[in-house]
Amino acid sequence: MEEYQRHCDEVGFNAEEAHNIVKECIDGVLGGEDYDHTNINQWTASIVEQSLAHLVKLGKAYKYIVTCAVVQRSAYGFHTANSCFWDTTSDGTCTIRWENRTMNCIVNVFAIAIVL
Amino acid sequence: MEKRGRGGRVPAHQPAPQSSATPRRDRRPSMFEKESYAQILRERLRDSLHEVQYVEPPLDESTADLGKEWKSALARLKFANTYRMEPPKKFQAHSVETKVQRILKDNLKDVKYDDKVFSRLSLELADCIMSVVKEFGYQRYKFIVKVLLIQKTGQAINVASQWIWDVAWDSWVAAKHETETYVALALVFALYCE
Repeated sequence: MEEYQRHCDEVGFNAEEAHNIVKECIDGVLGGEDYDHTNINQWTASIVEQSLAHLVKLGKAYKYIVTCAVVQRSAYGFHTANSCFWDTTSDGTCTIRWENRTMNCIVNVFAIAIVL
Repeated sequence: MEKRGRGGRVPAHQPAPQSSATPRRDRRPSMFEKESYAQILRERLRDSLHEVQYVEPPLDESTADLGKEWKSALARLKFANTYRMEPPKKFQAHSVETKVQRILKDNLKDVKYDDKVFSRLSLELADCIMSVVKEFGYQRYKFIVKVLLIQKTGQAINVASQWIWDVAWDSWVAAKHETETYVALALVFALYCE
């Protein structure tokens, strides 16, 4: 009798799938909108919430952390760096950059495997 | 010379001697038999000077998973059961926060915003914070460090994070360092891993 194989952990985190999911969420929330400081809180919250909900719906045994930074578009400098201490075979990350005429949006997804 | 002595003549001619004299010689294993696929593969690749272009995969996928099985078997062998259901020491957010805040302050004191310097500085800060957090010695924890450096030019920025994790053991820390020309934000996430 074979033991239950944790196929998702064997293959590792599927970054492309996460990329597509999150891009759709951002398009849905920010698509066609201009920067508006009254709504920006709501937008970032809903991007993060929807991305997380869709990632969880994939049904994989992962813990997720989703970070979103939305910046008004102007002449500014922006640097970001990540350092991660984890199991590189099963855990992964995905970064999505999205922009339109008035806003820049960077969403980061970290997925850490749950060992069942 | 009657042809009737065929039975006796046969050994002399030896048309197919092995089939009657010695045990039947084993047929070369078929590629479609599970256990012989790996053997054939090894045989083909051992002394060959040319590359095997394509080997027909077996009808069932069990031997294709040889690599994965090996790896998971190795992982299973590695860890003996410790019967521990929780981390030895829970992640203390406040002590980590003071440490990270001090690192930011020390490294960014009197540092003006500069494009080239900051791209290198963000990576250095992330590595520095990561090594400091590891020094705390929390066992069974995985860490994620995120460093953001934003130049202040009058634009607005909104940063939001959300997560799905184990509320009992996982935690996060945020530290901010603000100057006249830029803001530095450091986020540390700690996740319990069994």
